[in-house]
Amino acid sequence: MTDDVKNPDDPERRDFLNTVTGVVAGVGVCAAAWPFISSMNPSRDVLSQSSTEVNLKDLKPGEGKTVAWQGKPVFILHRTDQQIENMSSSQGVKDPEADAERVLKPDWLVVIGICTHLGCVPNRVKDGWFCPCHGSAYDNSGRILHGPAPRNLDLPPYEFLTDSTLLIGRSST
Amino acid sequence: MNILVKISLLLTAFLVLSPASASTAAMPLAKLDIANDKESIQRGFEVYYNNCRFCHQLKYIKYQYLPDIGFDKAKVDALRGSQLINASLQSTMSEAAANEVFGAIPPDLSLMAKARKQGPRYIYTLLTAYYEKSDGGYDNKLMPGIKMPDPFGYSVANENSKVAIEAEAKDVVAFLNWAADPHADERKSLGIYVITYLIILSFLLYVIMKRVWRRLPPPVSEQL
Amino acid sequence: MKKITQWIDRRFPMTAFVKKELSEYPTPRNLSAWWNFGSLSGVVLVIQIITGIFLAMHYKPDAMQAFASVEHIMRDVNYGWLIRFMHSTGASAFFALIFIHMARTLYYGSYRAPRELMWWSGQVLLLMLMATAFMGYLLPWGQMSYWGAQVITSLFGAAPFIGEEIVIWLRGDFTVGDATLNRFFALHYLFPFLIVGLVMIHLVALHMVRSSNPSGINLADKDNIPFHPYFTVKDLFGLSVFLLIYAFFVFYSPNLFIEPDNYIPANPLQTPAHIVPEWYFLPFYAILRAVPDLVGGVIAMGVSVMIFAAMPYLDRSKIPGGARYRPIYRVLFYLFVVNVLVLGYVGAKPPEGWLVPLGQVATVIYFSIFVFLPYISKKEEIWLRAKGLPSVVEELICAEEEEKGKRSQRKNRGKE
Repeated sequence: MTDDVKNPDDPERRDFLNTVTGVVAGVGVCAAAWPFISSMNPSRDVLSQSSTEVNLKDLKPGEGKTVAWQGKPVFILHRTDQQIENMSSSQGVKDPEADAERVLKPDWLVVIGICTHLGCVPNRVKDGWFCPCHGSAYDNSGRILHGPAPRNLDLPPYEFLTDSTLLIGRSST
Repeated sequence: MNILVKISLLLTAFLVLSPASASTAAMPLAKLDIANDKESIQRGFEVYYNNCRFCHQLKYIKYQYLPDIGFDKAKVDALRGSQLINASLQSTMSEAAANEVFGAIPPDLSLMAKARKQGPRYIYTLLTAYYEKSDGGYDNKLMPGIKMPDPFGYSVANENSKVAIEAEAKDVVAFLNWAADPHADERKSLGIYVITYLIILSFLLYVIMKRVWRRLPPPVSEQL
Repeated sequence: MKKITQWIDRRFPMTAFVKKELSEYPTPRNLSAWWNFGSLSGVVLVIQIITGIFLAMHYKPDAMQAFASVEHIMRDVNYGWLIRFMHSTGASAFFALIFIHMARTLYYGSYRAPRELMWWSGQVLLLMLMATAFMGYLLPWGQMSYWGAQVITSLFGAAPFIGEEIVIWLRGDFTVGDATLNRFFALHYLFPFLIVGLVMIHLVALHMVRSSNPSGINLADKDNIPFHPYFTVKDLFGLSVFLLIYAFFVFYSPNLFIEPDNYIPANPLQTPAHIVPEWYFLPFYAILRAVPDLVGGVIAMGVSVMIFAAMPYLDRSKIPGGARYRPIYRVLFYLFVVNVLVLGYVGAKPPEGWLVPLGQVATVIYFSIFVFLPYISKKEEIWLRAKGLPSVVEELICAEEEEKGKRSQRKNRGKE
C-alpha cells in the first residue's frame, strides 16, 4: 500500500482500478459471446417441433402407424387384447423387461422406431418389427428377440392429453 | 478539436435537414401514438383475424408466436384448429381468387409496418383515408384508386362510428407493428443493459487513460 | 508461463515481435482522437466477420428462400435479430469510420511521402469494402437489394464492345437472378478475408513509415512514446465510446439503415418508385446521375472514387503536413467535405427540379478541387514562404531541399 501512496503514477502499477476494469471488460466479452453461442442452438421453429401431437381416433385395434417426432420415426401400435396378453406373459429375450414397464396404457405401444444396433428403421412384420439391415427382430412390445441389436427399442417421453390424443415429447408452453 | 466540432455540426445539420422533405405521399400522415401494450395488440389481432385475414396473410407470423402477445395455450389451439403450431397465419382467400376479385394480390402484412416509410402511421392513415365519392363509390385520399374495399366502412360511417373505427385501426396498427418486429421489446430492454454497461466501461477506461497520460514527461521538441 | 514463452521464443520471435511492433512501438505523442479510426475500423471488420459467419449458418442464398431465411433469422433464431442488426448497422459503421479515417488523412496530409503506399493500400481497401458491401446488400433479396444490384451491374454495360456480355457474365443470368445471388454470397463471404490480408499489408507499411501526426512534421525519435500503455488505453477508450454509439443504433434505431422497400421481397417485374443506394454510396451515385451520358457517368463515378490515389502527386506543396500551416489547403478541405455532403443530399433525392443543376455544380466542384490542387498548392507554397513561415517549418523545407540537392548531385556524379 505504501508503494501506491509514494508513486501513484507508476506506469507499471497494477491496482484496484485496473483490476476492476479488466474484470468488467472480461465479463462484457463473455456476455457478448452468449448470443452467438445461443444462436447455434435449435431455433424457435425447430423447438416447436420438439413435441408431436398424434390423433389416435382412426387407429383400430391391431393397426399401427409411424409418426415423426423430432425428425425420428415413432411407432404407435394399437394392440389387440391377444397381443397384450402375449406380451405381458413374456419378458423378452436379450434385454429382459416387463411389458408393463414399457407402456403407459397397455392398449398403446409407443416406441422410437430406430434399431438399437446401427440406426436403421425396422419394418413392420406379422408379430413385431424386423430390421432389414442386420436382421434384428423385435416383438410387439419393441423388445429385441434375436439379432445383433443390444437393447430393446427406446421409448420416447409421451403422455395422453385426452383418450384419443397422444403427445410425444415434453409439452411445451 | 476545432475541425471535430465543425464536422459534427455539418453532419448534424445534414441529418436534420435530409428527412425534412422525405414525405412524397399524397396526403400528410396522421399523427399517431403507437400502442405497445398487450391489450391493444390482442384487440388488434382480433381485428386482423376477423377482417383482414380474409385477404391478407401473415406469412411470417406463426401460431407459436401468439403466446408472446398474451394469448394462452387454449386460445392458440382454438385459433389454429388442425394446423401445426409452427404454421403461419394464412389468408382465407387464395391469391389467385383475390386477384380475380380485386385485380391485385393483397400484400402480405407481416412486414407492412416496416415496409413503408413511417409504417404504422402509414397504415393508420390509409385505413382512415376512405371517403365517399359524389357518385356513391369510395376512394382513398392516401392511395387514390386503391383496390382494397373500405374494410371498416369508414367512408360511409357517421361521426360516432368513425371514432370506433379509428380505435380499431389503432389496435390493428399496434398488432401489425408487433408483427413486423416481434423482438422490439426484448431489443429495447436488452439495449438498456448494454448501454449502461458501456457507459460504465467507458468511464473506467477514461479514468485509467487520464491517469496513464498524466505521468507522461513533457515533450522535447518545441513545436508541439 | 515464463517457460512457455521461452520455449516459443527459441522457435518464433514472439516476445521480440510484441515488443518491437506493439508494446514499445514508437508512436507520436501528439496523436489526437482522429488517429483512433484506423484501429476502430479493424475492430468493426472483426465484428462484421463474426456476425457474418453466424448469419451464414442460417441464411440461404436461394432466390426462393433468401428473403424468408432472413425473416427466419430475425424471428426464430435465438438472438438472430441482434446478430443481423449488428451486421447491418456494422456495415454503415464501417463506412462512417473509413470516411473519417480518409478525411483525417486528407486534412493532415498523411498521404504524402513517405506514406503513399499506405494511402494506396487504403484506396484498394476502400474499393474492396465497397464491393463487399454492395454484394452483401443483395443477400436479403428485398426490393432495394434487387434493384440496386440490377442498376449497378448494368453500369458495366457501359464498357465498350463487350459491355452486354460483361453484364450477363457478372449476373450469370439475363437479369439479376438466383445465379447472381449465389455468387454474390460466395464472394461476400470471401472478400472480408482478402480485406484482412490487405489490412496486414497496410499495417506492415504503417510500421515501416510510422504514424503521421497532427503537426504534419515527422517527429524526432525523442518525441515518440511507446505504444503501450499510452495508445492501448487510448484506443480502448475510443473503442468503448464507439461501441456505445454503435449499440445505440443497434438497439434503438436499427432500421434507420434499412430502406423500407427492402422489407418487400424482390420483384423482378416491378421497380420501386425511387431507388436509393445505401447512404455511403450516395455522393458517388449523385456524380453518376449528374452526367447526362451513361458511359460518361460511369467513368465519372469510377474516377471520383479512384482519384484519391493521385493525391500524393496532386499536392505539390513543399510545406510539410496538411492543413495546419496551409490556410488555403484547409479551405479546400472544408469545401470538399461540404461538397461531398451536398452530393450525398442530391444522391438521396429523386433527380428533379433544382437538384439536377445542384448535383452537376457539385460534381464540377468535386473534380475541380482535384484538378486545380497542383496549381493551388504550389501558389500557396510560394505565397506562404514569401509571407514567412514559422522557423521550424522553414528549416524543415530547407533541410529537405538540401537533401534533395545532394541526392541529385550524387546521381549526376554516378552518371559521369
